[in-house]
Amino acid sequence: MMASSYNAKEEDGHHSGSSTHGGTGAPKNKKPDNTAFKQQRLPAWQPILTAGTVLPAFFVIGLIFIPIGIGLYVTSNNIKEYEVDYTGVEPNSPCYDCANSFTWNSTTPCVCTVNFTLTQPFESNVYMYYGLSNFYQNHRRYVKSRDDSQLNGVQSSLTNPSKECKPYLTNPETKLPIAPCGAIANSLFNDTLELYYSQPDGNTSKVTLVKRGIAWYTDKNVKFRNPGNDKDNLTERFKGTAKPVNWLKPVYELDPSDPENNGFINEDFIVWMRTAALPTFRKLYRIIQKKPDSTPTLASGKYVLKITYNYPVRSFDGRKRMILSTISWMGGKNPFLGIAYITVGSICFFLGVVLLIIHQKYDTRSNSADIPN
Amino acid sequence: VDCSLYSPGQLNTFFSKKTFVRCVMVSTYTSLVLFFIPWAAMQDSVRGDGKDVADYQSFALSTQTSLMIVVSAQMFLDTFYWTAINQFFLWGSIAAYLAITFTFFSNGLFFVFTSSFPFIGTARNSLKQPNVWLTMFLTCLLCVLPTVAFRFLHINFLEKIRKFTRFQKYKAREEGQPAPAPYRPPPRRVSTRRSSYAFSHSQGYGDLVTSRKFLRLKRRPSLFGRNQSPLVENQPQHYRTITEEAEESQT
Repeated sequence: MMASSYNAKEEDGHHSGSSTHGGTGAPKNKKPDNTAFKQQRLPAWQPILTAGTVLPAFFVIGLIFIPIGIGLYVTSNNIKEYEVDYTGVEPNSPCYDCANSFTWNSTTPCVCTVNFTLTQPFESNVYMYYGLSNFYQNHRRYVKSRDDSQLNGVQSSLTNPSKECKPYLTNPETKLPIAPCGAIANSLFNDTLELYYSQPDGNTSKVTLVKRGIAWYTDKNVKFRNPGNDKDNLTERFKGTAKPVNWLKPVYELDPSDPENNGFINEDFIVWMRTAALPTFRKLYRIIQKKPDSTPTLASGKYVLKITYNYPVRSFDGRKRMILSTISWMGGKNPFLGIAYITVGSICFFLGVVLLIIHQKYDTRSNSADIPN
Repeated sequence: VDCSLYSPGQLNTFFSKKTFVRCVMVSTYTSLVLFFIPWAAMQDSVRGDGKDVADYQSFALSTQTSLMIVVSAQMFLDTFYWTAINQFFLWGSIAAYLAITFTFFSNGLFFVFTSSFPFIGTARNSLKQPNVWLTMFLTCLLCVLPTVAFRFLHINFLEKIRKFTRFQKYKAREEGQPAPAPYRPPPRRVSTRRSSYAFSHSQGYGDLVTSRKFLRLKRRPSLFGRNQSPLVENQPQHYRTITEEAEESQT
């Protein structure tokens, strides 16, 4: 039956060929071309998992991972870090009064001070972070509640922001559009932290905190732009908009002393807008530059942290803390990666040894187990 | 004829409960590793210059890249014959993924479609960090190594174990002892619904054909009997005389 159907096809081809070529054309050849590609004769390589490749691979991986893990662990251990939790939960903590007396429309800021002691000096650049716990910046509705066009300085989005920002889209009383709109901008962290060093002779000296250079270059220079043109001052450029509901100052007063750090391109604002992945996170707040001479950046001794307590976290059982940390090539203090590499490296090495023993045992047994013909 | 195409059906390797359970276990393990290793590595981590790297977009990027590499590695292990086409498509997918990632996270697309491409700058900022690459390397290796180890054991030692048990049987026969229980393949379930594809799942009719059973004529009760069939008997046919009524119609 197969042959007859093939013949019928060939006849059809022959007929159509004859009708177009007037009976002189030969029947079209349906066979594929005799190339390596079409006849599936391409040269191929077949990977086979033999003992000669897998066992050395396990050993090599083990031997590579263990030194990397040790290097990472030692680097992480050399990083110095100090954490101060200043939420004010316990009655005997310095910020207890500020935490409990918080109201949304308080005009006088509440200030509390925390004393702490550094036992070791911190060398090189020291980075000051603020950390929050139980704050879900990765909640989907929260993450979407922003308007990137407005933050990029597009004029039409400034006066008509995206609907994703609801309910923080327009001011409920004046009906003006909010700039910057959305829940992420509305919950901007607005505590002010200042650090003082109490010298041994009793005087306190303020530690210089640098507020520039804390945001990503692409964020500061590409993603966030102020609306309008540079000739007008910022108050003019943001005319017709309202400040976010929970902010104390409007966006063009975030840093009046520095026009490069005011408005949407304020670096604290940019750092906050980069939403964190996990509910316990830390964000860069200030940098303490290393001193030009070889004295340590933060000498060991007593320090005073002065906090302007503006940010309420007690309502959702959140915690606030300040972290001082030095940095290495691999980032902050994180021993997990080092320990993981050492563990995986040793497991690989051990597995390689076990497989080698099994391989040797069965190899000698099976060699002597040849059945004579 | 290449008979290896029929062996998955014969041995019921692809749609059995055992394979399903194994697949679920491997997938669960891979998913847990792909999420929890970057999660643990990203806790409180920052970049080499102190800036943030524990943000939602960088975390997503590192998990996504690890996933791509793990999937490619699994395909690498599963491909039997590596022709130029396989090489092109496998390495090409990884290259295409990186190209598309960098394009989606670039400045240009952000300016054109601002709300659709909010991940601008993430690839440039996080993929420059060595701890991100180390995290991804660790994740991919942890996902791929168990598969490699099991396959290696299966391929190399199943043969040796079979050879060893055959040797034991031979030795037992030589010494007159009862042979150990032979290796039986699992009994196949014979399905009542047969198609030409399902034909390869069961034994087929080979035994029946080669035994020539069908050529033997069986004694079975017939409807007409041997005396009546003209083919069986070689006797001349006896015709009945046609009656007078039919004679008239004949002429």
